[in-house]
Amino acid sequence: MTDSFKMDNIPFSLLDQQEQALVASNLDLGYYQAGEKIITAGEAPEGVYIILKGRVSEIDVGEDKQQQVFVHYENEDYFGGWSALRGTAIHDFVAEEETICHIMPTRILVELIQSNALFADYFQQNLAAKSEIVAQHGKGQDMAEFMLAKITSATVRDPLIVEAGTSIRDATRKMRELKADCVLARKGGRYGMVTGTDLLDAVVLKGLDLETDVSEIASYRLVTADPEDYLFNALVTMTQQQIERVVVMQKQELVGVVELTDVLSYFSSHSHVIGLRIERASSIDDLREAAQGLNSLIKALISTGVKIRFTMDLLAAMNGRIIAKLFDLVIPPDMQPHVCLIVMGSEGRGEQIMKTDQDNALIFRDGLSWPGMQETMNQFTEQLISFGFPPCPGNIMVSNPEWVNSVGDWTQRLSDWAETCEGNAQMNLAIAVDAKPVAGNQALFKVARNWFLRHLRNNDVFFSHFARASVEFDTPLTFFGNIKDKGELDIKKGGIFPVVHGIRTMALEHRVLATNTFQRIQALVEAGQLRDKEGQDLAEALSLFIQLRLRQQMRRVESSEDGFDPTPNVIELALLNKMERDLLRDALQIVKWFKKHLASRFHLGG
Amino acid sequence: MIIPRTIRRMQDRRHHKEGPWAELFEPYKGDEVISLDCETTSLDVSKAEILSIGAVRIKGKKVMTSDRLELHLKPPASLSEESIKVHKLRVQDLSNGLELEDAFEQLLQFIGNRPILGYYVNYDIRVIDKFLRPMLGFGLPNKAIELSHVYHSIIKWKHVGGEVDLRFDTIASRLDIPIIQRHTALGDAITVALMYIRLKHGLTPNNTH
Repeated sequence: MTDSFKMDNIPFSLLDQQEQALVASNLDLGYYQAGEKIITAGEAPEGVYIILKGRVSEIDVGEDKQQQVFVHYENEDYFGGWSALRGTAIHDFVAEEETICHIMPTRILVELIQSNALFADYFQQNLAAKSEIVAQHGKGQDMAEFMLAKITSATVRDPLIVEAGTSIRDATRKMRELKADCVLARKGGRYGMVTGTDLLDAVVLKGLDLETDVSEIASYRLVTADPEDYLFNALVTMTQQQIERVVVMQKQELVGVVELTDVLSYFSSHSHVIGLRIERASSIDDLREAAQGLNSLIKALISTGVKIRFTMDLLAAMNGRIIAKLFDLVIPPDMQPHVCLIVMGSEGRGEQIMKTDQDNALIFRDGLSWPGMQETMNQFTEQLISFGFPPCPGNIMVSNPEWVNSVGDWTQRLSDWAETCEGNAQMNLAIAVDAKPVAGNQALFKVARNWFLRHLRNNDVFFSHFARASVEFDTPLTFFGNIKDKGELDIKKGGIFPVVHGIRTMALEHRVLATNTFQRIQALVEAGQLRDKEGQDLAEALSLFIQLRLRQQMRRVESSEDGFDPTPNVIELALLNKMERDLLRDALQIVKWFKKHLASRFHLGG
Repeated sequence: MIIPRTIRRMQDRRHHKEGPWAELFEPYKGDEVISLDCETTSLDVSKAEILSIGAVRIKGKKVMTSDRLELHLKPPASLSEESIKVHKLRVQDLSNGLELEDAFEQLLQFIGNRPILGYYVNYDIRVIDKFLRPMLGFGLPNKAIELSHVYHSIIKWKHVGGEVDLRFDTIASRLDIPIIQRHTALGDAITVALMYIRLKHGLTPNNTH
């Protein structure tokens, strides 16, 4: 109809031309005053509303007549689709300011859903499916970078060239000297490839003389690639032809050779290298250097489009190894079997990406006599700080004697915390139950944990109290509206914490041993405590929050001078595109549902 | 002699009470309005030729853009002979346009006896009348609603002394209405429709300029 309606926005971009024309010819424009109800709960909406200008809030009219804003919609957002399909709206949709909407009638929506499967999916599916559609359909910038790397961005090795007439012996010697895997023999105007395997075959299997001209065993059917070609294509070529290198030629000019290992290492980044360096570190300085390589690894992984959960797993493993290695280097060997180092909080759950504050503690055998223990622990904390793990603002570190306990004291503290309702104790407990042993004698930790889990069994009062924190922070869904000028949102309070803490409580109740939230969700689904779909939605929502947060964190770290991000949990809404806003909104809806679920399950009424 | 439009309307009505267009002369009782805009070759009514007509129905607080009229006319004689030479317009390009008779037939069907809204609407009506009268023997009988008058009557109370700026873009920005496809007949008709609804149903805009 007009250029005021953007067909480029998902989900309308999923439609074909004919379908888009159908949409265009059936849109009306509606004008609504501030405060006017656009859709009334219980009534059938006219169709889908797409905002041209203005702001609309979705309001839940509770039984107690208390109005609760559910979501805000802004420019180019659409709403009412679900209600239109269902036939009745369950919420009120109210214009917060003067609003002009395009209206697409329900019959058109139904028609489109029948004719276009992708569109239907996007409209009807849960968040997980939506993300999938977006990932496949969207431009996938991260993926593009990965796919669009040119051959020149990988290591193109200088070719080792020998003239025809060079003996096998000389050629081999040259390869050895220059540490080359292959040699190119020039014969006339052509080049022939001789690999190490070719040499072995010639001498050992065919019994050729060592003085034989190397150009006689060369293969002149070179597989070549243009330096401006995509690295990915080179990889495909090598895989198809079962070869390990291609020759890079610019027109008729020989540029170099790209080896399979170089291509693979470009794509997989340097994780294995850093891993090896950590293992091989024999001094604290070596280890520090390896640890500092982690940040660039994170960036590489993110920019090559590796899934966030995989990145987190990898990083948790890396961080764990660094800490374990440091433990080996700092703690005297004769004491190591008597103590256990645990990491807690996000580190314990394996959910941190940027190096966040250290949360760690030490548990030692009852009756252990080790006079220099606290001093060693102070040193341990100092070293970690020098590695780039910031100190914990709450001082939850082994340098704080409160977090260095015997098994008996540790269990006592856990149960003390569980019995007090005071905020600090609850927070300590929340951090402590995510603990994971990383070094030393793990049995010490397990004894304490198992005792504590038994201790909590059937203690409904405790769970009810513990769960409360997850519903404490207010609904973040109003963020599109009321902090318009600020346009930012604390994603930790609004999204991450409620999910993590709610799952944590349920995991404790059902004695799930995993500490990672995704694993806990999985375990709860298997135990029948969450439905399959609920589990998937929660996991998808959480990884979306983490991904958005990470992207903005990296941005801030890069633009700040000291590489420090003062507001790690802030999401600036202006930096999100329409689609990300959509996904974020859906994810927050899931959080909202989950909080309700928790409230009824743990009797958090009122 | 210039006969005032009201008097001519009474005459037209008497003459056409029994004719095929009698419905147009019935007084309108509904709540709908037609927003209309013409693209013409000149701002002088006596010289102007119509290139395209855009119209959209307003019902309550809604602009029924799904029920709209967009008519492109055959380039007028004054333009076409030159254009064929100068712009190398081909015959099939020209044949895509409607004949004026067909266009008016559709337009009258679309408008019916509803009031016509526009920005400087009298100009559009006079240009249409100029061609309509020789064809059917009457001018548009509909009530006309002038957007800038509606705007002026609301805004003037907020605007003591001085002229009220009645330019199209100014009104749109005061009312905070997005301008849709400026300078196409349909786009302008829709924008005017939105401004009208805004004025009719919204709060008085603050005159902060």
